[in-house]
Amino acid sequence: MTEGDYRHVYVVIEVQDGKLVPVSFEMLGEARRLFDKFNKQNDSSEKVVAVLLGQNVKEISESLIKAGADAVIIADNPDLKEIRNTTYTKIISQIAKDKEIARRIEPKYADQFKRPRYMFFAADSIGRHLSSTVLAELEAGLASDINKLEISDLEINHQQKTNGMPVIYKKTLEMYRPDFSGFLWTTILCLDNTNPAIERDYHPQSCSIIPGVFEPIDPDQKRNGVIIEYVPKIDQNDLRVKVLSRKIIKSQIDFDSHKAVVSFGRGIKESPEQNIKLIERLAKDLGAQIGVSLPISKKPFSVSQSVASTYMIPDRVIGTSGRKISPLVYIAAGISGAMQHIAGMKESAFVVAINPDDAAPIKDESDIFIKGRMEDVIPLLIEEFKVQSQTATA
Amino acid sequence: MSQLNVAVVIKLEPDFSEGSVSYNPDGTLNRAETKNTLGPHSAIAAEAAFYAKVKYGARVSVATMGPPIAELALQTAQRLSNADELHLYSDRVFAGADTLATAETLKAGIKKMQGDIDIVFSGHRASDGETGQTGPQTAWKLGFTFLGNVIDYEVDLDARTIKAKRLISLQGFCDIVEEVEAPLPVFIAVDPSYKPIFNTVSQRLSFAKYRKESEVRSKNHKYYLQVFNVEQLGADKTLVGLPGSPTIVYKVERIPQGKAKRQAEVLDGSNPEHIRKAVSKIREALSAMVIK
Repeated sequence: MTEGDYRHVYVVIEVQDGKLVPVSFEMLGEARRLFDKFNKQNDSSEKVVAVLLGQNVKEISESLIKAGADAVIIADNPDLKEIRNTTYTKIISQIAKDKEIARRIEPKYADQFKRPRYMFFAADSIGRHLSSTVLAELEAGLASDINKLEISDLEINHQQKTNGMPVIYKKTLEMYRPDFSGFLWTTILCLDNTNPAIERDYHPQSCSIIPGVFEPIDPDQKRNGVIIEYVPKIDQNDLRVKVLSRKIIKSQIDFDSHKAVVSFGRGIKESPEQNIKLIERLAKDLGAQIGVSLPISKKPFSVSQSVASTYMIPDRVIGTSGRKISPLVYIAAGISGAMQHIAGMKESAFVVAINPDDAAPIKDESDIFIKGRMEDVIPLLIEEFKVQSQTATA
Repeated sequence: MSQLNVAVVIKLEPDFSEGSVSYNPDGTLNRAETKNTLGPHSAIAAEAAFYAKVKYGARVSVATMGPPIAELALQTAQRLSNADELHLYSDRVFAGADTLATAETLKAGIKKMQGDIDIVFSGHRASDGETGQTGPQTAWKLGFTFLGNVIDYEVDLDARTIKAKRLISLQGFCDIVEEVEAPLPVFIAVDPSYKPIFNTVSQRLSFAKYRKESEVRSKNHKYYLQVFNVEQLGADKTLVGLPGSPTIVYKVERIPQGKAKRQAEVLDGSNPEHIRKAVSKIREALSAMVIK
């Protein structure tokens, strides 16, 4: 591997109905911060490259440069209006391997250029699948649902990868993903096999990034960049996949029009059915919508079918893999406060936690922490609400 | 009407239901103590295949990669789908595979199934790994059109096409239901919200017939089961398991708790005075709406 084989980070931009999905700016922001540091440390000039597919998307490209891109590769074609996985996968893969594009980005290494060094996608309904198929086509590694990135030189000793020998992997992307519990961080690396028996290059090192995690940079009107128009080769056979219709649907669970939200988590466990009934009563008195933590959506408790299908559903999950809300009052009952949950409720104006464990992380995100079991505390709250509202109206 | 062959790829996963799941004191999953079961999203994929059996008389094959114990997941999936064929890809060399290497094994296995497969179903994502990558990567390796987040589908057996509804959720946008048409073969990742609906009397009759049959079959699941090692599968040893995995898990650590964002006032839930205080503060916070 030489210096020119793998260069730059390619960020796959998402557009919906002619508008950029916010995660596009967030990915560019993080790529910019990483590469400013990277180029300084390595005395290099590798680029942040936005990859933009669609119809009539040229006008958007300037905003990508202001948001941190050094170059924007545009594939603008009526057949790209709808996102067909196969067509998009082939074009993005073509772009990733294209030496002429690499020449426009940076003439110096174009002859050696093989692949991007890194690729970023969004971890959403489009990017999750697109990243998978692109990386299957490019035969390289992919980590999903990342919320922290670092670039380091790492010494690795791996039975398979390095044949049990220590090897320094330079400029390695450390991809951090929170696990399903929200308490553990797993760092994924995509590494070439240096072991002679299974030697293989695995570039680009790629990941999908959770929307809403990284900050975009403030748009810089003075930033310049190169815009590269790419004429994609579209296989007509792939266009037999047709989008027949698109209908906007409103989520059945409306959080935005409620001034309060009461959420519950695994703390319901001692008597799930009765505790959910208590939550319902409290929510009704407060005019609140009901949310849940992620583990609840996996239906971990046996409750009646109607309770399970009303509450233990992904649509009610507050957090990274659910909804982000900012009500006036947020009440977290029996929720310990995994990072992924906090991400969904931290913008609430006033936060109340009900929990028997005062070492629970939710305490640090609360304005009031009521120590106690929800089955004991909620009935008292309901009663007291009655008393105080009667006093107020009297 | 021509025959329809469908496959389901499933996974044995930790059982997150209360009584089966065990957590460490720090809130992480205790894998040693936690039981395993057919993953909930895999179960939905099996139901989507059963729909094809009831509605189109499809032949159903179910496959998984895993240790011998994964046979249990196949048995459960057979009960849900009335599968005609069960495949277990089990070999030490498959262990430690990331999504790309798993997809390579599944691809090799699907090619070994009886008849040409028209539709492969997978779950949305595993509830332990949660990547959602293995499905689309298997689709790509097979050369099948990938359709993700599918909530409903209908097959035109004569035209050999499928119409599917997909649920698309994007940050800052309303959810969209997109209807697509694609020629077979396709690979479908079934959305968690998928619910099969059987409208006609004949569908309900076949539903009952196949449901009954599936109970009998799954009690005798070994009769339908084939186990493949890497040689029997004809897979390239350098493309599966650890050797074929571009990614590794470098480290696992506890997510450090950030600095306290708010200074919580700690109240005692058994103290009536504290409850009064809590309620009056909540009422105060709620009344901010009125001022705005």
